Amino acid sequence: MQKNALYILLADDDEDDRLFFKDAFEEIKIQTNVDFVHDGMQLMDHLNNADNKLPDILFLDLNMPKKTGKECLIEIKKSDRLKDIIIAIYSTSSSEEDIEDTFIQGANIYIKKPSDFNTLKKIINEVVTVNWHYHTSGLNRDNFLLRLK
Amino acid sequence: MFFFTFNKSLTIFKDNTKNKLSIFNQISYKMKLFIKFDINTICSLFLKHNLDQHNINFTSLGFGEIEINDNLDAEAMEALKSKLSPCGFEIVENQKSVLVQKIKDAIIELVFMEDSNNYKSSVFLAEKLNHSYGYLSNVFSEVTYSSIENFIILQKIERAKQLIIINEMSLTEIAFLLNYSSVAHLSTQFKNTTGITPSAFQRIIKKRRENLK
Amino acid sequence: MKWIPNFNSSNSLRVIFVIAVFILLFLSSIAYKHNQSLNESSKLVMHTYEINIQLEKLMSAIKDAETGQRGYIITRNGRFLTPYLYSRDKVNASFITLKKLTADNPVQQQNLERLFKLIIQRFVSFENCLKYSDPKTYDKRKLDNHMFGGRILMENIRFQVDKMNDIEKKYMERRQKIYDQEISLSPIFSISLFLTALLFILLAYRQISKDFERLKIFNKKLLISSGLMAESEIIGKFSTWQWDLDASKIDYSDNQFRLLGVEPNSFVPEKESFLNFVHPDDHDAVADSMEGILQKKKLPFIYYKIIRPDREVRYFKSTGKLLTDQQGSNILLGINFDITDEHLLNIELQERNKELEKSNKELASFNHVASHDLQEPLRKIQTFISRVSEADKAVMSDSAREYLSKIESSAKRMRVLIDDLLLFSRTNTTKKEFLKSNLNELLENAESELAEVIQEKKAIITTTKLPKLSVIPYQIEQLFINLIGNSLKYSQANLTPEIKIESEKVLSANYPELLDQSIKKFHKITFSDNGMGFDPQFKETIFVLFQRLYSKTEYPGTGIGLAICKKIVENHKGYILADSVPGKGSEFTVFLPE
Repeated sequence: MQKNALYILLADDDEDDRLFFKDAFEEIKIQTNVDFVHDGMQLMDHLNNADNKLPDILFLDLNMPKKTGKECLIEIKKSDRLKDIIIAIYSTSSSEEDIEDTFIQGANIYIKKPSDFNTLKKIINEVVTVNWHYHTSGLNRDNFLLRLK
Repeated sequence: MFFFTFNKSLTIFKDNTKNKLSIFNQISYKMKLFIKFDINTICSLFLKHNLDQHNINFTSLGFGEIEINDNLDAEAMEALKSKLSPCGFEIVENQKSVLVQKIKDAIIELVFMEDSNNYKSSVFLAEKLNHSYGYLSNVFSEVTYSSIENFIILQKIERAKQLIIINEMSLTEIAFLLNYSSVAHLSTQFKNTTGITPSAFQRIIKKRRENLK
Repeated sequence: MKWIPNFNSSNSLRVIFVIAVFILLFLSSIAYKHNQSLNESSKLVMHTYEINIQLEKLMSAIKDAETGQRGYIITRNGRFLTPYLYSRDKVNASFITLKKLTADNPVQQQNLERLFKLIIQRFVSFENCLKYSDPKTYDKRKLDNHMFGGRILMENIRFQVDKMNDIEKKYMERRQKIYDQEISLSPIFSISLFLTALLFILLAYRQISKDFERLKIFNKKLLISSGLMAESEIIGKFSTWQWDLDASKIDYSDNQFRLLGVEPNSFVPEKESFLNFVHPDDHDAVADSMEGILQKKKLPFIYYKIIRPDREVRYFKSTGKLLTDQQGSNILLGINFDITDEHLLNIELQERNKELEKSNKELASFNHVASHDLQEPLRKIQTFISRVSEADKAVMSDSAREYLSKIESSAKRMRVLIDDLLLFSRTNTTKKEFLKSNLNELLENAESELAEVIQEKKAIITTTKLPKLSVIPYQIEQLFINLIGNSLKYSQANLTPEIKIESEKVLSANYPELLDQSIKKFHKITFSDNGMGFDPQFKETIFVLFQRLYSKTEYPGTGIGLAICKKIVENHKGYILADSVPGKGSEFTVFLPE
């Protein structure tokens, strides 16, 4: 469906989560390139390096060492170059406060890390599809709020 | 025959009510306007302007579909592509993609129609595109990995979001306008589609705007 | 400031006294004058009388002389001449007296002069008569002439004397008349004046005795209140001091000395003497504020410590105010409170509060962290289990497959437990932001959350209009989810679950034992179902954490759901009740304050 594969970036310090994520993307039909960073600092370095392509969707864990996901989110939204990246929060927390707060800070998607691999695949599939719709169907990205459990 | 798809830029509401300017938010020292405009008209005008610049003789068939009267060589085609792509226009080449684009446009038209209540979507699409609904449905899921129904829901919810943000209508009125049997139905679908309730959505968008200031 | 009783009468008293004194002075001056005039008039009468007598003496002397002369002329006996010879001296003596008496009256003097001349002429005529009657020089004609002339002169003298008497009489009458005029009004006038003065003095006396009574009453009151003050200062552990800024004199109440740990009046208070008691820590602050009193004329509350002579530390609170009394002098009134007991109690309370807060926080964060951090490994376990594909399972032994499924269900149960615990801890820890919310909307959200189960069980939920209340939206939504979820979970197998949600406004007065009477109105929301119900004896314990009525194999659950409900309702200052008829259904009633 896309001429180019979708470029996905996951920022998560947990090795197992990165593994699940990678496997899930491999198993869905949509063609994607997935990259990983291990913490907030690394993420910002990666994004701020002009040589690197900006991701189509950034999956961001909230609980990361060195720089938390929330700090990264605020920094990204402040940067003119980065602020249009679609951001999916990918966190264990299901606290309504966390969710609403990250949405207010500019996140588009909030995913509570599922405890089932199939659910993870389903969620990733939905994120990518909805994102693609937003990308191709003239939808207002400002209104792009999606919460997945 | 070519198809164009276009990306939307930020802070634009697409609405079929043409030339309607609504000001619903004023800030004491900086005036802030929210402008409703018709994206199709803008895109058509932009397209016409660019094609005219390249001296291409064409007829618009509507919904981003144009017919070029001369035969373009590969070089002219590349030039046109490179000219249009930075603005989010891209030429759809695959026939199925073209059909999907047509389905999407038809759905958007349906959702944004004032009297959409009078139509059943499957009938509307079949009549509009001259294909059986079953065929359209198959092609659509093959290309997008999602169903037409889902896309309609997504679009309706998108429309509901705009209406909620404009804040001129109550949820009941929005539910009626978008052909929902009840507010509960709209709320449920809104929640199922976005994961959040309409009121939470409204609250978040409002706070996000305050946050940006 | 009117803190000294007003005795205004003293001024009017003074006026009354001055008037009375003036009246008396006036009266006595008039009396003196009367006396004076009386004296004068009696002198006058005496004077007239004396003149009268002298004139009569004069007359009789001349008459004597005349009689003597006649006798001599007739008898020629020398003895008859004796009165005549003496009469001259008598006339002269009377004359001198008369001259003296009439010295103040020129008219009388003239008359006297004239009389004198007449008398001299008479004596000349006597001489002539004697001469011409003398036989040696006898001349009948001349004698007759002189005798006759003497007769006329005598008459003239009589006339002159009468005239003089008349003048004196008239003069006296005139004087008498003036005098009578002068004193004619005065008796009534002076009596009335005297009575007025008397009245004034009586009035003044009455006022004085009245004031005296009042003074006595005030004095008594003052005595009582100062006694009470001293007593209440002791009971209330406070003291007062007065600082007369003009006289720069400082007075301590007895209790002030006691609060400082010394005997009353054991020293004469001065500006600096109080500072000697102040704890070194607070010395500068108190000294500053004392300086401040002089400048700002008032003393805001200050808190400080003092040290008593026996080294005991007491906590003080002081304030003051500038008063201006009737005489216009500035007096600074200060009050010291010994707040040692309250202070120590407060410190203790604060410490206990801090401890409580700390342990509460620890508990909450422990709960949160425990459940939050437990989630991570559990999620991994579950995800890894889910990664074991059907193909993998096919090659496993039967027991391995069974163990795997046991691991899976245990993990799932643990997940539910952790989720619920997290939810429970969150109902305590999250910030409680109250928003005006439509409960119908929250109920709809709850229903859409439960949509799957509702559909699966084909449950019928009927709702009446719910109110708009100021609530914590997430929590009320959670409450609805838990209550409806509970009804769905314990529905009867062969019966379509029906859940009725009704709301009404009630007065707390109608539920005196249940509801907080300080809040007048509550919204009573009932959730009734046709489920299996429970034994009503458990209607209280059902809300206790981890309390379960059914075994977990029959009905999965953690026993946290209803505890969360109770917590949420309590967060809203509301109440939740449960009741049931086993086999018929149960009813949960939530009271939320308006």
